[in-house]
Amino acid sequence: MIMFDRRLLQSFGWSLFLMTLAFSALSLMNLYSASYQTGLGYFKKQAVWMCIGIFTMIVVSFINNKLIKQYALYTYGFSLLLLLFVLVFGKEVSGSRSWITIGSFATIQPSELAKIPIILAIARFYDNDYEGVPYGFLDLIKPVLLTALPLGLVMFQPDLGTALTMILISGSMILFMGVEKKLIFLVLVVVIGFSYPAWHFFLKPYQKDRIKTFLEPSKDPLDSGYNAIQSQIAVGSGRFMGKGFMSGSQTQLRFIPAQQTDFAFSVLAEEWGFMGGFMALLLYFMIILWILDTASRAKDKFSVLACFGIAAMYFWHVVVNVGMVIGLLPIAGVPLMLLSYGGSSTLTALIGIGIVLGIRMRKFPIQGQAVELR
Amino acid sequence: MQDFRNRLVIVTVILGIAFLGLVSRLWFLQVLKGDEFEAFSRDNRIRIERVPASRGRILDRYGRELVVNRPSFDVYVLPKDAGDVSALSVNLSRVLNEDPKKIEQKIKQATKKNRFKPVLLAQDINRDQLAYIEARRSSLPGLTIEVNNLRQYPHGVLGASFLGYIGKVSEAELLATPELSNNGLVGKTGVEKTWEGSLRGEDGFIQRVTDALGREVNSNLFLKDLVNRRSVPGNDVVMSVDIDLQKAAEDALGEEFGAIIAVNVRNGEVLALASKPTFDPAEFVKGIDSKAWSKLISDKDFPLVSRATQGLYAPGSVFKMVPSAAAMTEGVIDPDTLVHCPGYYRVGSHVYRCWKRGGHGWMNMREAIVQSCDVYFYRLADKLGIDRMSRYMNFFGFGSPTGIGIEERAGITPSREWKLERFKKPWYKGETIVSGIGQGYVSVTPLQIAMMTAAIANDGTLLTPKLVIKEVAFSGQTRLNILPPRGELPVGKDTLALIRDAMTGVVNGPGGTGHGARIENITVAGKTGTAQVVSLDSQSTDRAHKDHAWFTSFAPAEAPEIAVTVLIEHGGKGGAVAAPIAKKIIETYFHLKKERKANDNV
Repeated sequence: MIMFDRRLLQSFGWSLFLMTLAFSALSLMNLYSASYQTGLGYFKKQAVWMCIGIFTMIVVSFINNKLIKQYALYTYGFSLLLLLFVLVFGKEVSGSRSWITIGSFATIQPSELAKIPIILAIARFYDNDYEGVPYGFLDLIKPVLLTALPLGLVMFQPDLGTALTMILISGSMILFMGVEKKLIFLVLVVVIGFSYPAWHFFLKPYQKDRIKTFLEPSKDPLDSGYNAIQSQIAVGSGRFMGKGFMSGSQTQLRFIPAQQTDFAFSVLAEEWGFMGGFMALLLYFMIILWILDTASRAKDKFSVLACFGIAAMYFWHVVVNVGMVIGLLPIAGVPLMLLSYGGSSTLTALIGIGIVLGIRMRKFPIQGQAVELR
Repeated sequence: MQDFRNRLVIVTVILGIAFLGLVSRLWFLQVLKGDEFEAFSRDNRIRIERVPASRGRILDRYGRELVVNRPSFDVYVLPKDAGDVSALSVNLSRVLNEDPKKIEQKIKQATKKNRFKPVLLAQDINRDQLAYIEARRSSLPGLTIEVNNLRQYPHGVLGASFLGYIGKVSEAELLATPELSNNGLVGKTGVEKTWEGSLRGEDGFIQRVTDALGREVNSNLFLKDLVNRRSVPGNDVVMSVDIDLQKAAEDALGEEFGAIIAVNVRNGEVLALASKPTFDPAEFVKGIDSKAWSKLISDKDFPLVSRATQGLYAPGSVFKMVPSAAAMTEGVIDPDTLVHCPGYYRVGSHVYRCWKRGGHGWMNMREAIVQSCDVYFYRLADKLGIDRMSRYMNFFGFGSPTGIGIEERAGITPSREWKLERFKKPWYKGETIVSGIGQGYVSVTPLQIAMMTAAIANDGTLLTPKLVIKEVAFSGQTRLNILPPRGELPVGKDTLALIRDAMTGVVNGPGGTGHGARIENITVAGKTGTAQVVSLDSQSTDRAHKDHAWFTSFAPAEAPEIAVTVLIEHGGKGGAVAAPIAKKIIETYFHLKKERKANDNV
């Protein structure tokens, strides 16, 4: 099952592995500071999750990607079951039924964990289906359905942030594989046409508030604008060099909301300044670039698309989360992969890297595989 | 696989653009706007607690306290730090004995306006409440206790009319004087207002670091750049008033409406300045409530108006010194010339009556003053004409403020131009005639009469009444209040001597109208006045139609020290009503002087 081939280790993606480890260390350091005032609970839990995640990443990297492709639909099915389970037995936290409690220590978030299975399922679909021509409306029913099923369940929780990232990831993959131009046009028209009734009938008041607040945060500095303003104050006041580790006043005096989770990047930018923020973004940029590079070297369609999907996952999490933190986008509950506290999110991020590492290792034809690839 | 690689190139370009977008926004926030956001983050964590300066005291001329301070513990909440407002309100309602909903509403309303401005929740809480709150400080986020000073009046209502009152600072006052504290009290009238700048002092502040929940933080990390400033207490203001004489004056007025002024004729120092009815300044110390306020300002007796400086009255016969001086100086009449008083004065078809129906017979100037013969002064006014009359009124300080430094009115010295402008009508001769006896359009404040009397007594210097002698800073540094005299009367010394002699006769001579002010051992000089309110022949017994009683005097006649002016609204005859009151004040003055001398010798 696991190929203990010497050549595997020779072509192991050490640079991605080390970058990931470096980022995990950075994340723990940042979380140490962010949770110092509240007794380091988040830091300790995240340290445990990181260890589990890195171990899982290494294990996943050694699984043959053929096997991964083979079991893609099983994992997909399993995460659908988890999503159903959470709707029935989940723990409700601030209005969303998104968490399953395991024992007294851990909670897992099936919607986060579903991201990788969705990517794999879509990759698998295209692996069989792709013939090199753009896809029309009817051809896309299957991948859209593969996204829509978990998406619907997530919307029921409701967890808008995760639903949004699912759409962005799947959409990126579908676009990447090619879509007829007139269909793209049609979708744009429909989306724009529906946004008016959506605003008036479907969005909840708090969701509308978030969008209004984003457009003009100072209008309501106390309630919904508070997070946006405090986050930008934290980032801005970090200036070029930052206020220093454990010395960010916005962080330590807890002006930053959700500073261990969604707003972890504010903490980093306040205490390490533009230097720190830039370095973190650069590291993300390099990780994504490295994943895309792996995609371009992969030998089969499934591997290309799996890598691309994982790159898209990282990309959208960074853009939506950092964009929100620095006031470019409205507030949406999207964590920053690797930097934000969260077991499921960390596991998903590291499993994703693990899959990429596995694909990277096998970029050279391995015994018995080379034939199959042709 | 090749077309995937081409697409991946496009994807990489998109990735690069997004990366650059995020980085440039980061640059914008952290480098271009960094200092601005740093200031915001400071404002976020630093709470400024005002340390109010204690307001200066107001003392009488011998250093006795007229207005002092006592501490008041006031409860404020800073909306930005209050956290859960409804929980806080419930907690506070127990100790403040107030409806929690009311408290909550108060905080929420203030939050909408400005969440960085503390809201006053309770003033002057008692020791038990203070102890309760101090003990539970940690569970009451955003709460601060400020020690403010409240004014206290050891002598009650004594002197209220010139001390004035204080009240909550208004938006307009804040705009005009930004250094005022927005929670503070400020002098609204009287000495409290005029000397506000000296009394106020300078507030200090303490900066504290608070977390997002408004709790104070003592971690050294954020304390290093804090700035504190001590408060500077306000200066004490030392008044010229002698509170004993003030008390005698206010007691002498009793329930009557009117004013009494006692000034030192040599330097213009005001020794007593009484006005009735008056108000209780203690009602204002916490900022008066609107009900009490509207009651005060709608009161038909105008208790907030100081009659001594703001009341305008016809002066009546106390005015007769003005035409006397004018006529002698202008050479209109020789003081020895005898004028016959048949009891009336005829101009054309109109007849002006003397108060003595049977007439005074032949009068020279001295006798005319002593017996207050109206006909003599009708004739003087007739000869002088209104232009010269008006000029001399102005010489004696009428028609313009005295410069005492508290609210006062200028009064009216009528002239042709004045009437034309005011009524668009020409001047009539009859109006000149009645102005000779201080009737008609002439209107004066009691203080102006007192300063006229002082000028006559001190041989011709029209002094500026001085209410404040000096201010004393907390450091002991003293600044004298120097007020130059308003001018010299353009009147000969012999003229003034004759007037003084006549005024001595008013009190002491045969036929004098002011015998009621006569004192053994001290020669009092004075002049009575009975100012008609409605018409010359009013026989009405209605109090509102009764004449105003005037008496103005100085003593001792041979070496004047003090001038005393008394006005009793609707009191009746000046000689009968006002003169005895002036006598009491003069007696008290010399009694106090003797006592003080005796004490000094011991």
